[in-house]
Amino acid sequence: MNKTFLVFKNELLTTIKRRSFILTLILIPLGGFILTWIIGGFGRNTQSQQISELLVPSSPPEQEVYGLIDKNNLIDSIPQDYEDVVLPYDSEAEALSALKEDKITAYYIIEENYIEDGKITLVRPDFNPLGGNNASYMIEDILTRALLSDDPDLANRIQFPMDLEYRILAPETSRDPNSSLTFFLPYVVTMLFYMVILGSSSLMLNSITNEKSNRIIEILMTSIQPRQMLMGKIIALGLVGLLQTIVWTSSGYFLLLLSGRSINLGEGFMLPPSILIWGILFFLAGYALYGSLMAGLGALVPNLREASQATIFVVIPMVIPLVLLSPIIENPNGALAIIFSLVPFTAPITMMTRLSAGSVPIWQSLLSLVLIFTTTYFVIRSVAGFFKATNLLSGSAFNLKRFVRAFIGKN
Amino acid sequence: MSTISVKSITKNFGTQCAVDHVSFDVYPGEIFGLLGPNGAGKTTSIRIVLDIFEPDSGEVTVFDGPMTEAKKNRIGYLPEERGLYQDIPLEYCLQYLASLKGMDKEVSHKRIDAYLERFDLNQARKKKVKELSKGMQQKAQLISTLVHEPELIIIDEPFTALDPVNTQMVKDILKEQRSKGKTIVMCTHQMHQVEQLCDRLVLINQGKSVLYGSLNEIRKNFTGNVVEVRTHETLPENIPGVTAIRHTNQNGDYMLTVEEGITPQKLLKTLINLDIQLEQFEIASPTLDEIFIKIVTKRDEGNE
Repeated sequence: MNKTFLVFKNELLTTIKRRSFILTLILIPLGGFILTWIIGGFGRNTQSQQISELLVPSSPPEQEVYGLIDKNNLIDSIPQDYEDVVLPYDSEAEALSALKEDKITAYYIIEENYIEDGKITLVRPDFNPLGGNNASYMIEDILTRALLSDDPDLANRIQFPMDLEYRILAPETSRDPNSSLTFFLPYVVTMLFYMVILGSSSLMLNSITNEKSNRIIEILMTSIQPRQMLMGKIIALGLVGLLQTIVWTSSGYFLLLLSGRSINLGEGFMLPPSILIWGILFFLAGYALYGSLMAGLGALVPNLREASQATIFVVIPMVIPLVLLSPIIENPNGALAIIFSLVPFTAPITMMTRLSAGSVPIWQSLLSLVLIFTTTYFVIRSVAGFFKATNLLSGSAFNLKRFVRAFIGKN
Repeated sequence: MSTISVKSITKNFGTQCAVDHVSFDVYPGEIFGLLGPNGAGKTTSIRIVLDIFEPDSGEVTVFDGPMTEAKKNRIGYLPEERGLYQDIPLEYCLQYLASLKGMDKEVSHKRIDAYLERFDLNQARKKKVKELSKGMQQKAQLISTLVHEPELIIIDEPFTALDPVNTQMVKDILKEQRSKGKTIVMCTHQMHQVEQLCDRLVLINQGKSVLYGSLNEIRKNFTGNVVEVRTHETLPENIPGVTAIRHTNQNGDYMLTVEEGITPQKLLKTLINLDIQLEQFEIASPTLDEIFIKIVTKRDEGNE
């Protein structure tokens, strides 16, 4: 009689009925809803900048005024849009006096040989190499307009030489590439994916170590084959993880819709629909791989305390894509991103980062899935080999050497 | 046909030999004692019988053949390391364990109800296992061992940490199961408990079988030339056929060491002829503890 279904049913029911699981499942999206509601309440008609204003209330900005001395008489008058912030002075003495009286922040001097050498001097009372050059773009603009006063169109073109418009041939990109949120989104997806894969595979580790610490494992060994027990647990906890992923993702999606209305995040935060399907596939692949590894770990550790310490060995490959997140996001089709999205242990997270950062050739996603599932097959086979009473009933302390030996079938 | 047949099993853990060529048979309807001090290799032997461990050598047959998954459903096992799922209600825990033994849901419901009633755990059925007292948890473990009405019951150290009331309860249940024709293997180091229950036994020491047979036979073999006598009279200093007289207490109990060749019947006749009023006359039989000490001491002397 195959008892896999009995184990599956028990694992599924006991896990989803657990108070801590229900709380985690509900509280995380609920927290998001509350936050969105608060933000939405603060500014229904405002832009996303108000999120940061909500978090860090800003005081009204102080208007900085700059002086300008034109020794070449190039500038007839200060353009209207800079009249309040750039004041012309006839002499340096007048400008200096205004500076001392705090009427201006600093002043620029267009030197006599400006046309030949382009020399301009900035005089300011303090040393501020990072923020002290704030008005230079205004002086540049004023000079460009003055120099090309005969041809305003040319002046305008020099100032804005490229009005870039994206035309993306990939069928599903509905995001605005100019939006800063496009950059932010892969980080969110990656972190979410890391959390759900780690969370679900940790459920596996907890389940086995709990049975060990509850000392029920010996009774189970006389009632069910270890392999059936392993399979029942992997499938049930995979479904639990999938449920968690779907609830969180749907809540997140709903939250974005809500946010779109309330804080107007725009298209930058939109994901193509296919990413949800890829997400489910890569979650299942990632969970199956890491869940099996955690099951192997669970078989070899004597208790939950040692299990937590030993988890680090399994989690390291999952953390690598997080460490390399910036280069992967900046170049989602670069060599680094492609390699890590094909190496099975780093692939689930890296591929999701790539998919959320840009378009990925479909063959790479499929190859990645095939490689992960193939590796998972061998990992499960290996774990099933040492998921037996000798290890499950052993009280020996965990060590990496034993773990590796068990995986290569020398235990 | 034996229910369990163990033939020369050996199991090593690293360099340590836990079981060394142990053999025994367990027959249907008997309580069989697997005895020995702590660390003797009893639990390892049981785990080999149950197919939890594979022996390095030797052979085990259960129900006339090798262990199968179907046969495991016909066995009830209470391990020495007692355990139950702690975070789920008692009733659900028992139902899940019964389902793993292949029990039908409806039947298991009825049996669990009956056992909970009998063991006075009815009020605790919805409570989480971790909320139950240690005694209650032990009763629950016994229910999970018996609920599927196994033909073979294997209990490892059944009396450990039990109070006298629960000890008696376990004894009564084991006797009751025997009367139903169930085969019981009791694995323990508490030899005095075995004397009251077991029909046959094997005694293991340091992984080796040192004694095997029926309790009566073993006692008979180890019975010496000592007779216990109780009388309110003072015994004469010299009794024909007796080499030594020891007054064991103030209640008139004596231990008489009989000369070789003198039977207890002859001694009884002699005491009657001496007109001694006897309240008790009994051939002194050694306890299992005494037999065990005798065997181990002899072996140690032999090894020296």
